[in-house]
Amino acid sequence: MDYLKVPEEVKGIKKYALAAAAGGFLVMGALYFFLPGTVFFASYLVGYLFWLTIALGILGWLTLHHMTGGGWGIMVRRISEAAVYTIPFLAVFIIPVLFGIHHLYHWSEAEAVAHDPILAHKAPYLNVPFFILRTVFYFAVWIFLVFRLLKLSLEQDKTGDAVIYNKLYRVSAPGFLLLFLTATFASFDWLMSLDPHWFSSIYGVWFASGAALSGMSFLALWAIILYSREPLSEYKRLVYFHDYGKLMFAFVMFWAYISFSQFLIIWSGNLPEEIIFYIPRIRGKWLPLSVFLLIGHFVLPFLLLLSARIKKDFGKLSKIAIWLLFMHWIDIFWNVFPSLKIGESYSILFAILANVAVTVMVGGVFFYFFISRLEKMPLLPVKEPFLREALESE
Amino acid sequence: MDRVEKPNVAPVLAPGHSVGSITDKIASVILQKTPRWWYFGFGIAFLLFMLLQLALFVLFVKGVGVWGINIPVGWGFAIINFVWWIGIGHAGTLISAILLLLRQDWRTSINRFAEAMTIFAVACAGLFPLIHVGRPWLAYWLFPYPNTMGLWPQFRSPLMWDVFAVSTYATISLLFWYLGLIPDLATMRDRAKSKVAKIIYGVFAMGWRGSVKHWHEHEVASLLLAGLATPLVLSVHSVVSFDFSIGIIPGWHTTIFPPYFVAGAIFAGFAMVITLAVPLRKLFGMYDLITERHLDNMGKIMLATGLIVAYGYAMEAFTAWYSGNIYEWFMVYNRATGPYRWHWYALFLCNIAAVQLLWIKKVRLNPIYLWIIAMFVNVGMWLERFIIVVTSLHRDFLPSSWGYYKGTIWDWATYIGSIGLFLFLFFLFVRFVPMIAIFEVKTLLPEAKGRSGNE
Repeated sequence: MDYLKVPEEVKGIKKYALAAAAGGFLVMGALYFFLPGTVFFASYLVGYLFWLTIALGILGWLTLHHMTGGGWGIMVRRISEAAVYTIPFLAVFIIPVLFGIHHLYHWSEAEAVAHDPILAHKAPYLNVPFFILRTVFYFAVWIFLVFRLLKLSLEQDKTGDAVIYNKLYRVSAPGFLLLFLTATFASFDWLMSLDPHWFSSIYGVWFASGAALSGMSFLALWAIILYSREPLSEYKRLVYFHDYGKLMFAFVMFWAYISFSQFLIIWSGNLPEEIIFYIPRIRGKWLPLSVFLLIGHFVLPFLLLLSARIKKDFGKLSKIAIWLLFMHWIDIFWNVFPSLKIGESYSILFAILANVAVTVMVGGVFFYFFISRLEKMPLLPVKEPFLREALESE
Repeated sequence: MDRVEKPNVAPVLAPGHSVGSITDKIASVILQKTPRWWYFGFGIAFLLFMLLQLALFVLFVKGVGVWGINIPVGWGFAIINFVWWIGIGHAGTLISAILLLLRQDWRTSINRFAEAMTIFAVACAGLFPLIHVGRPWLAYWLFPYPNTMGLWPQFRSPLMWDVFAVSTYATISLLFWYLGLIPDLATMRDRAKSKVAKIIYGVFAMGWRGSVKHWHEHEVASLLLAGLATPLVLSVHSVVSFDFSIGIIPGWHTTIFPPYFVAGAIFAGFAMVITLAVPLRKLFGMYDLITERHLDNMGKIMLATGLIVAYGYAMEAFTAWYSGNIYEWFMVYNRATGPYRWHWYALFLCNIAAVQLLWIKKVRLNPIYLWIIAMFVNVGMWLERFIIVVTSLHRDFLPSSWGYYKGTIWDWATYIGSIGLFLFLFFLFVRFVPMIAIFEVKTLLPEAKGRSGNE
């Protein structure tokens, strides 16, 4: 199956990816001296979590696929495997967030904890050593899961042994469970604790819904890129693209359902320790962004994805996928910035530039390893037992 | 392509069937002489249904004072039973709508009776809010209609949203079920031996002739209704969860409630599907149609939703501590150590511990074990709603107003009676209506493959 190789023009992305990573790094490094620490590290967190959540979302889809089967997963299995392969490398890039703890997380300051009984109550959980330990633990779980799945998949390519199919299944069931639990607490640590007084028990599900949606959008986009070129074009089956569109549609609704549930319960309860999350977002300068999020992340994609014609149209579906990835970035930004207490004395332009630079930088790293991995394996799991059935569909 | 080994997967439909044998098998359940066990089961169900009528009679004569509710626990069995029943219905909708859209072909042999279960469960659920209003003859006031008193319901109340959610749900479920029944009712019309039966089935079959046009429109209507029913799986129980979470009572007011209630509903619903499927499979010898694959899949779904429910408990407890709010934390502490602690421990045993056995394939494939675990879940989900409703109310912010709640004999009579109503309807259903969708099971036959796409 030597001929199932990555097309040359896709390979070419690697060079640009390295250049983007280097360029982003330089701009970021320069901006460190021009921006307040909070703004700098918050921008970093947004750009970093954008890529990490895409990879985690795809890890969720990959484990789900190994549990449920189905042609949709087989057709993008190599894309999924290449995307989750970036997680061990992205793990290194959490380090700046750890250096920025004191700029981002109010609970990390002994002074603040001493004068705040609520923070003192939370100190057994929200303290710097335990925070770092948890972060290391989350990544250890994810990396273990990624290596296990990739190793089994390689073995399947070599031997075609039916036992491996079952092994992948058996790793994925507890793997999915652990992924969901660790991702929940990761969202509590990295995002929810930005405002240490605030809490919401649905937050982990919100995090997972965004990751799943952006992960599926990424998969759909890359499926379109690869299946519209040689050598995969002869294996193109429209029904699966319809499926990706349906899954995106389902998760556009699920994301809205979770976000709205959180909003409705907190808004109607109107308790001081909960409503603090929404006050900056529904009043004042962040309100336009909230409205944009509602329209861009839900209303618009919902109306477009209703149509079966659009879901089967490569050009339109890929545009919607790119749009949803952009809105996922906005969603994370919306969850980070309004929670922070930032003075007015910084350049908005530099802040925007910092956000773009870090997104480009981490994105460069992401794509470098993503493409590298794609090159290493045939673009279809050639010895997957149900590949033949998957290709029998229209 | 190279040779690849295929893993063993049990078939959805046992081999050796033909189009005719499937019709014979399912239709014979209705056409044969009524088995003796049916009279026995129906008799018990009818007695319990009579108990419900007695309990309602007493309630209407004397008022809600015959129940255990009082201040501080103003919501008791009626709400617990309402949520329990409406949750049970969700599995039917999931199987008939979501699994249809996901092209899960194994659903075809269990969807008919699961949908029937949904409708009967919604009927039982709908009863409770009506009798809980105190003056049930004025229950129509729940609906917003222009009236001379200029009186409108409170649109901002989730109880009001419930009226819409549940009535929409009941309507769509009924239509979906009936639509699926039409081709099979026509089969029964053609096969029935007595004149009366022919006429009755004929009327309900609405002139079905099985023409291509009929089938085409049937399929379009099925997909449309499936699309409409899918959001209902999420929305109905989310609205039910808002009944609690929109308020600010600790133990009720937490953001995880909507998805956690939905998962709990599907969990409870699959438990009830298993509770019904295992005996039906045995009594009618339906081993070819409800195969090991079904048991395995239902067991897996129960495990998956059970784990989501456990996640919900964990998030609720964690945020109660994390919030730093003493009332939130006291609620968790009170559940674990207060007067209802045994309910809480039993809840853990039923909904979390027992379900973990489903990780083992042997347990999932054994109908007896599966049935026992499903019974644990049925009890556990009732206890869950009991814990949510009662423990949150009985000890509120002021210790001087604390109280204790337990159901009276009329509470229990109403609850057990509603199970009687459910079983009464279900026994009638398996006797007079094809309990497995004949025409859908036929699409599982090898000769139908490649022709049955629902695109």
